[in-house]
Amino acid sequence: MNEEKSIMDIIADANKAVTTGIDSADIEHWVNIYIMGRGYKVPAGLTIMQAMEYAGYKFITAAGCRAGFCGACATVYRKEGSYQLKTAMACQTRVEDGMYLVQIPFAPAQEAFYDISKESYNAAMLLKHYPEVARCVACNTCTKACPQDLEVMDYIQAALRGDFEAVAELSFDCIMCGLCAIRCPAEITQFNVAQLARRMYGRYGMKEPEHITKRLAEMEKGNYDDDFKKLLAADIEELKKRYADRKREAD
Amino acid sequence: MAEMKFIGGYPEYMRELIEVVNKTRPQRKDYTPAAMTAEERKEVLAVHPDYAEGGKRAISIGQNKGDMGPNEVIDLLEAYPLIEPADIDLDKVDYSVDLLIIGGGLAGTAAAIWANNEGIAAEKILLVNKLRHGDSNSIMAEGGTQAADRENDSPAIHWLDAMGGGHFTNKPDVLKGLVEDAPYIMHWLKESGAMIDQDEAGDYVERWGGGTCRKRMHACADYTGLEELRVIRDEFRTRKIPVLEHNPVIELFTDGNRVTGALLWNLETHEYKIVKAKATILATGGFGRLHIRGFPTTNHYGATYDGPVIAYRAGAKLKDTDTVQYHPTGAAYPQQIIGLLLTEKLRSMGAQPVNVKGEAFVFPLEPRDVEASSFIRECYVHDKGVVTPTGMRGIWLDTPMIDVKNGEGTTAKAFPGMVRMFKRFDLDIVADPVLVFPTLHYQNGGVETDPWGKTDLDGLWVAGEVSGGVHGKNRLMGNSTLDCLVFGRRSGMSAAKYLKSGAQSGNLSLTHVDRYVTMLKEAEIAPERKAPILLPEYRGKAVLARMIDV
Amino acid sequence: MKIPYYPGCSLKTTARNLEVSALASASTLGIEMVEIPRWNCCGTVFSLTSDDLMHHVAPVRNLVRVQEMNRQGIVDNEYRLLTLCSMCFNTMKGSALRVADNPDDLDKINNFMDREEDYEGNVEVVHLMEILREMGFDKIGEAVTNPLGDLKIAPYYGCMLLRPKEIGIDDPEDPTIGADLFRALGAEIVDNPYKKVCCGAYHTVADKNLVIDLAYSILSQADKAGAEAITTSCPLCAFNLDARQKEIAEKYPEFKTMPVFYFTQLMALAFGLGEDKCMFEGNYVDPRPLLRAKALLKEGS
Repeated sequence: MNEEKSIMDIIADANKAVTTGIDSADIEHWVNIYIMGRGYKVPAGLTIMQAMEYAGYKFITAAGCRAGFCGACATVYRKEGSYQLKTAMACQTRVEDGMYLVQIPFAPAQEAFYDISKESYNAAMLLKHYPEVARCVACNTCTKACPQDLEVMDYIQAALRGDFEAVAELSFDCIMCGLCAIRCPAEITQFNVAQLARRMYGRYGMKEPEHITKRLAEMEKGNYDDDFKKLLAADIEELKKRYADRKREAD
Repeated sequence: MAEMKFIGGYPEYMRELIEVVNKTRPQRKDYTPAAMTAEERKEVLAVHPDYAEGGKRAISIGQNKGDMGPNEVIDLLEAYPLIEPADIDLDKVDYSVDLLIIGGGLAGTAAAIWANNEGIAAEKILLVNKLRHGDSNSIMAEGGTQAADRENDSPAIHWLDAMGGGHFTNKPDVLKGLVEDAPYIMHWLKESGAMIDQDEAGDYVERWGGGTCRKRMHACADYTGLEELRVIRDEFRTRKIPVLEHNPVIELFTDGNRVTGALLWNLETHEYKIVKAKATILATGGFGRLHIRGFPTTNHYGATYDGPVIAYRAGAKLKDTDTVQYHPTGAAYPQQIIGLLLTEKLRSMGAQPVNVKGEAFVFPLEPRDVEASSFIRECYVHDKGVVTPTGMRGIWLDTPMIDVKNGEGTTAKAFPGMVRMFKRFDLDIVADPVLVFPTLHYQNGGVETDPWGKTDLDGLWVAGEVSGGVHGKNRLMGNSTLDCLVFGRRSGMSAAKYLKSGAQSGNLSLTHVDRYVTMLKEAEIAPERKAPILLPEYRGKAVLARMIDV
Repeated sequence: MKIPYYPGCSLKTTARNLEVSALASASTLGIEMVEIPRWNCCGTVFSLTSDDLMHHVAPVRNLVRVQEMNRQGIVDNEYRLLTLCSMCFNTMKGSALRVADNPDDLDKINNFMDREEDYEGNVEVVHLMEILREMGFDKIGEAVTNPLGDLKIAPYYGCMLLRPKEIGIDDPEDPTIGADLFRALGAEIVDNPYKKVCCGAYHTVADKNLVIDLAYSILSQADKAGAEAITTSCPLCAFNLDARQKEIAEKYPEFKTMPVFYFTQLMALAFGLGEDKCMFEGNYVDPRPLLRAKALLKEGS
C-alpha cells in the first residue's frame, strides 16, 4: 500500500507549480513584462495570467474559467517597439518579453431586449434591434481585435444583409469577451449582434428534429412509466444483472 | 535545464516518442482493447486517488459526522467562519426578494428563467455570482448533453447506464427526474435558439459517452457548455432579471430550520450586504480548485466548495462526499495548460489512449474512474508513461486517429476549441497525439436533494454540481450539463410553487454559525482555518514571503 | 468567360430577382459569374468620418478580393469585377478610379487595412450591361427563344449608370445601351424623356414625398410616351419606382400602375428560362397579367 501512497505524492509533487503557485528557485529563463506600466521579471513560458500571479497579483476580476471559454481575462497589450495594439486571453497566451499589459474584464455594451419567440425570421430584424450595424465602415478593426481569430467584420457584414446562417457559423466560437466592441469606431456591439443572430438561426433556421417531438409525445402518454416502476422496485442485485446484460448498440 | 530543441511544439525526445505512436497507428486502426470485466475494474481502481490510501478522513462534527471525505474537503467543513456573527448588523436589509439564486452557471441561470416562467416577477428575483454571470464550470463543458431521444433508446436505458456508472449509489428517484426531463431539455434549448449539431436530415448528431450503451450525446461542436450557457444567459438578460456579480455568499441566514437569505461580500470593496429571501437556490458548482491530492483541475477559478460549506453550517445534509471524479484526459503538456479538459468526445470519435510503446492498452470508453485509474496504472505501476520536461507522466491520446477513422477535416470541424487551444502553444492535435493525465474534474457528491432540488432545510433548494445524489459516486459524461438544466429548471419551478403558496419572509439570524463554532471548539479544532475560501492562492511564493498587511 | 462577381447587400435580400435572373441569363450566354468570397458592403452607406477617405476602405477591400481570386487561381487573369446593382457599380468604380488617380490615398488605405494584402490598383469595375455590349447585342439576340414581341419598354437609367461621366457606362446625355439590349430581346422601345431623371434615391427614407413626386413624373411620362413597362438595374430605383406606386396612387388618383422590371428579368424571360428564374413574384407591381396578355407567359402560370 505504501507504493500507492507514494504514487499520489509523486503526482502531487509534479504538479506543485500548477496547484500552489511557483517557487522561483528552479527557474532558469526569465522575461520582463509591464503590468499597467510597472515592470516585473517573471519566469518565461508562463501564461499571462500565471505570470501576473507570479508577480503577486491575486485576481478578483479578469479571471474566470482559466481555460479559454469565458472571456473574463480579455487582455490588451503592446510589445516594445511595435505600434500594434494586440489582444489576448490572459489564460491562453504565453507571456513574451516586453509586453505592456492591461486587463479588460468588463465591456460596457449595448444589449437589445427581445422575446425570441415573438421575433420574425427576416433580414431586417437584426437592424431593427441593432441599427448601429449599418454604421460599419468595414475597417476590420474588430477582426484584428478578436482573440479567437474570428472574422468579426465578415459576420457584421453578413448581419447587415440579414444572413443569419453566415453570422451564426462565423461567430460560433465567440466567447463574448467584448474586445471587438471596445475597439469598434462605429460603436457596434458585435458579440451581442452575433448572439441574437445565432439564437434566431438556432430556433428558426435549423430544423426541428422529429425524433424529439416523437419522444416528448411518448413521455406525455406515459409510455415509460412501467419501465420505471420495475426499475425503482428492483433490488441492487437485479439492477446489477440488468446493467451487465445491457446490449451496446453498434458503433 | 539545458536549452531544449523544439520540433512542432515538442522537445526532441518527445518528438521521437510521437514517431513510435505514428508507427503503430495503422495496426491500431481496427483494434480496440476489450472492455474490462467487473473484477478487472475493481482491481485497477486500487490506484484511483479516491481509493489509494491516505487521502481521506471522517467528518468530526455536524449532521454527517462520521462520513468520509477527501482531506481537502473536510478541512473546509472543519473550518471557522470568515465573520464574527456579532459584527453583522442584521437590521439593515439591502435586498429583499422572493427568490435568491446563488451562482450563475447553467443551473442558476435556468432556475431564474423557470421561476420567472412560473410567475415570479423578474424584479423579485436576484441572482448573485462570485465571478461574472456565466464564468462557471458549465461554460467549459465540451463534450455534450445526454438525452434519450432516439428510437432505439429510452429514458429507462439512460437511467440504467447512469445507475451502473454511479456504482448503484445514485438516488433512484432523483435520477429518474434527470433522465425523464432530458428530451424536454433538448427541446427547450432548441426553442431558445441553441445550435445543437444536426445531420443533413435535421436529426441531432448523437455520439457515444463513456459508460453508456446507446449513442445519446448531443453536442454543439466542442463548445457545448459555452453555447448552452450563452443562449440561456441571453434569455435571462432579455428578461431583465437582476444580477449582482463579484458578490459571493459567505453565509446563509436561518430562522430555525429555514433558510431566509444570505450574507454577501463584495470582492472588490469588501463591504457586506444583507439579502432577505423567501426562497433560496444554491447553485455554486464544484470544488476543483481545492486540488485534491495535488491534482490539477479542469475547473474554473471559483470552484472552491463554498456552497456545501455554508449549507452544512446551516444544517443541510451532504451526500457522497467521499468520491471525486477525475477526468481521464486532462492536458499533461504543455505546462501552461496542465489539467485543462480534453473532452471525452475525442475518444468517442476514435482517439485512442496509447502508452509510450505505442500500444493501445485500455478500452477507450470505460466509466471515468476506471479509465483514469488505468492511465495512472500504466504510468506508475507498469511504467509505460511518457515523462514531460517538468517531470509529469502522461499517456498519449492519439488524436490523429480521429481523421484516420472519420475522414480528413473531422477534427478541425468537431473540435475547433481544442485545435485552437493547442495551436496557441504551437501544437497540432490533428497531426500529433496529445499527452494526457487524469485531472480533477467533478464533485460527485454534495448537498442532498429530492427530485425537485429541495434540501431538508425549508426554503433551500440546490441544483447542479453543488448537489449530491443524482450521480451517486460517479457521474457519466453528458449528465452534468443535463443535471444543471434539469434541476435548475426543477428547482426554479419548485421554488416558484412554494412562493405562490404564500411563503412569507422569515427572520434573519446567524445563530447556526455560532452553534457551528461551538461544535468546532468542542471538537478541539484549532481556529487556523477559515472557510469559504472563495478563491485559490496561486501567487508566487517569493512575493507571498515578503507580503505585509498594513 | 469566368469573371469575379460582386453582388451587394440588396441583391441578397430585396433584389433577389435581380440576382437570380442575372445569374441565369449570364449563364445562358456563357458568362460564369463567380461571387467574390468575403465581400463586404460596396461602401455606399458608409459615412462615419468627416474626410471621405474612410468611405473608400470598404470598396477597396472588395477589389483586394479580386486580386486574391486571381492569385489563388479561382479565376484566370481576370481583373474585372462584375456588378449588377447600379449603386454598387458606381461606388466601387468611383473608389477604384479615386485610388488609381491618387496614389497617396491608396497608400493611406493600404496602410490602414494593415493585415490585408495591398491593393495594386489594377481592378476594373464593370457593369453587366457593359459586358453584354462587348459581346455584341446581335449575339445576345441569338440566345432569344421567347422574343418580347410588341412589349413596349421604356428603359430607365437613373443616375448611377451614367454620372459622373468618368464612371458612366454610356453617353450621359443620350444613353442607348438599354434600348439596344431590349431591342435585341425583341421588345419595342419607347423613349422616355425622364429616363435620366433621379428617382430620389435615399430621400425615400427622410422625405418620402419628394420621391413620390419624382417617381410619379418618371412613370407617368413613360406612360404618356406609350410605354407599358420600364426597366432598371438598381434596387433603390426599383424600390422608389415600383414599391412606392402604392403611395403614388394614393396621392395622384388618376395614376395608372406600371410594372418595373430589372433588365435581367427581361433577359431571362426572352431566353425562355422559366418563371423561377424571372422571379416576377418579387416585383411590387405584378407584371404577370401584362405578360400573359402579350402571350409572353403561359395562361394560368
